[in-house]
Amino acid sequence: MGGKGRQLERTVEEVQQFEAILKLLQDNPDEMSHLHIPLVKDRLETARRTLECVEQGKPFVATWFTNAPEICTAMDLHWYCQVAGAFVAAIESPHMMEDLEGIDQLSVPADCCTLLRLGLYYVDAGILPIPTAVVALLEPCDGVTSLHEAIRTHRDWRDVPMFAPDPPYLGDEKSIDYFANELREMVVFLEEHTGHKLEIERLVEVVEESNRQYELWLEYSDLRRSAFCPHDLTLAMSAFAVAQNNLCGTPEGTAWFRDLVADAERRVREHRPEVAHQKIRLLWYDIHPVWFNELTPWLQQEWGANVIQSMLTYCPYTLIDTSSEDAIWKGLAKRNLLDTPMIRQAQGTVEKFVYDIERIVKDFSIDCVIWPGHMGHKDSAASVSVMRDACREIGVPFLHLGVDQFDRRYTPVDEVKNKISQFFTAMNLG
Amino acid sequence: MKSKTLREFAGMAAALGNPATRSWKKQGRGVMGYFCSAIPEEIFTAAGLLPFRIRATGSIGTELSDAHFSNLNCSFVRHCFNVALLGEYDFLDGLVLVNSCDNLRRIYDHWTSQLSTSFVRIMSFPRKTGPPQVDWYQRELTELRSGMEEHFGLEISDARLWESIRLHNETRRLQRQLYQLRKTEDPPISGADTLAVIVAGTAMPKETYNGMLRELLDELREAEGITDYRARLMVLGSILDDPEYLRVIEDQGGLVVTDSTCFGSRIIWKDVREEGGDPIQALAQYYVADRHSCPRTFGEHERRAEFVREMIREFKVDGVIGERLSFCDQWGFAQYSIQNDFREDGVPYLSLEREYILSGVGQLRTRIQAFLETLEG
Repeated sequence: MGGKGRQLERTVEEVQQFEAILKLLQDNPDEMSHLHIPLVKDRLETARRTLECVEQGKPFVATWFTNAPEICTAMDLHWYCQVAGAFVAAIESPHMMEDLEGIDQLSVPADCCTLLRLGLYYVDAGILPIPTAVVALLEPCDGVTSLHEAIRTHRDWRDVPMFAPDPPYLGDEKSIDYFANELREMVVFLEEHTGHKLEIERLVEVVEESNRQYELWLEYSDLRRSAFCPHDLTLAMSAFAVAQNNLCGTPEGTAWFRDLVADAERRVREHRPEVAHQKIRLLWYDIHPVWFNELTPWLQQEWGANVIQSMLTYCPYTLIDTSSEDAIWKGLAKRNLLDTPMIRQAQGTVEKFVYDIERIVKDFSIDCVIWPGHMGHKDSAASVSVMRDACREIGVPFLHLGVDQFDRRYTPVDEVKNKISQFFTAMNLG
Repeated sequence: MKSKTLREFAGMAAALGNPATRSWKKQGRGVMGYFCSAIPEEIFTAAGLLPFRIRATGSIGTELSDAHFSNLNCSFVRHCFNVALLGEYDFLDGLVLVNSCDNLRRIYDHWTSQLSTSFVRIMSFPRKTGPPQVDWYQRELTELRSGMEEHFGLEISDARLWESIRLHNETRRLQRQLYQLRKTEDPPISGADTLAVIVAGTAMPKETYNGMLRELLDELREAEGITDYRARLMVLGSILDDPEYLRVIEDQGGLVVTDSTCFGSRIIWKDVREEGGDPIQALAQYYVADRHSCPRTFGEHERRAEFVREMIREFKVDGVIGERLSFCDQWGFAQYSIQNDFREDGVPYLSLEREYILSGVGQLRTRIQAFLETLEG
């Protein structure tokens, strides 16, 4: 299959996969289905809309969760993320091994982040739908900037207009103003290339809706402080996905959050957590590996360990002031520059690493911190002593694993389990 | 190496401490360290401070910095911080950084917590080159200027800044003249020696340096050229401050006639505007938008590629060697685009991984040897 067909092959497959997952969930309902079904429907809808845009010549864009997704929602502009293909419903893509072999053929060194190399591979192999325009991401790491420069000049994508909001390094008032202007420029770019317009009244509605989501997200996060944390990490990860992706600022997203909070409240009230035995409360201080679905059940069953928070599930959940247009832009800039998980910790000086670890450990009664040490995260690798010292200071054990979150061959999951077991034993946990 | 001046430059490039810096300090004058070519030395000179670009020449290990960085971080950063922890940078009165890369930006965090340098600043350097980015950097530089004035109790006047800009432009003009000499069929200076000259320029007072460089240029104009080479090469990459690395290449018969590195042509090819308006604006305009960028900057690949093509044409380059420090993401992805460009252009290209400290020389020789053989057809 060549040309447009090849571009859509994976998306068509994704639609089929999500249709099958949806049917399975609908045919076999359990007490969690009401929370899982909307998420699957969202992924299905996203893939379907991408197909529809390509087939019907409707504008759509490739962008990232930290480029103020509220704006695309307000513009009714469909978008997808270039690396989303690495995951299917929070587990690794069935094509992962084939794709990992593919990236070895690219002339990008193996010490660069595997996820970003996958992003380039998808472009190079022609298996991403070519969008009308791209909004690149220049934070939080060097790799992502360089990935977009490589995509921008790629033979198949060089005619696709690309805009990149420039993130300042620090988070003071002038940085926020500057980034707010970059976001305004992004809107000008999107309007010019997609024909979709941003109405401020609509943006206000969307931001207010997204504020409701953030309020509920905070409420949910607070419920995870409970001695019996209501859920494992899957739904906490989904909360981030809903708040910062295609359901951002939508009533459907808010409804899902309400359901999530209600479910968590019920479980806390009834002392009936999803993970029955919880002896160890764990902070996984990074993004989630695609092999997490193999690790977390083992953690729960073998050690009674539940991952309470991670880098992607915790943020300040700050609301955006919608009293004026200026306040909205500043709020969007602040949220997307300083609050959004992962961007928040990795962008800027190291204090946020320390602050968040201390905050999470204290607020969530964390027993130990695991820093996976993803091979692509050079800034965190350079922050390891700071994290270790922060943990020592507050008296919580710290483990550095050394993994590739996207390539299980780097450190096999069994080896990860061994390291964690030795750590738990040595620290008298469990 | 016949020239006394060249030997002096080589000596300065081969060690961190040098007679010029020592003499400067003896006069009770300050030294400002800085990482990355995106930081305007001109401001330090205008403040009466000696700009000293940080490197880790002579470092043999990373045993101290390994407690702060991991083996996923690039060796340049680990060696530099190790050298600093060993006290070899205790002569600095201040240090200025920008968020150059994910490895380097963390040096700021560790330096401020582990070392007692009294003035340490990190500035936010834009990743794009448009007018808003120039304005942004102008504000950053203005804050740096006032921060230095306050800390060191001095005034950095506009007049001093323009004077400093003219002085640094003169340095760049002289350095470009050195490069011009290498365009000839029999260049009078090797790539390794040229690198030593450029590196020395980041570690000594510019007035002294310019005087020495003028002498060297006069000598080279009369000197016999190098004729016994097998191919004319260009080196492309990031931090390369070790002339010995190029000497290994040149010992195999590949004469390095030009480069695009951040201790090379990228930092000297253009000048800062010498008059008109705010000198800080002139510096911001130059460092953000006018000079040739590295792959850290987004949206500039075409301009970078055109610069390289121009170099290849003007210096009659037979082949290009790309050198990348392991764990550098910026050059990691750039390699992909560069290789595609060269494939389209039909330019022979050899991509090399390296550590900051010269190592694996045998393997390097073999790769160079093989590359030269392919160039010779």
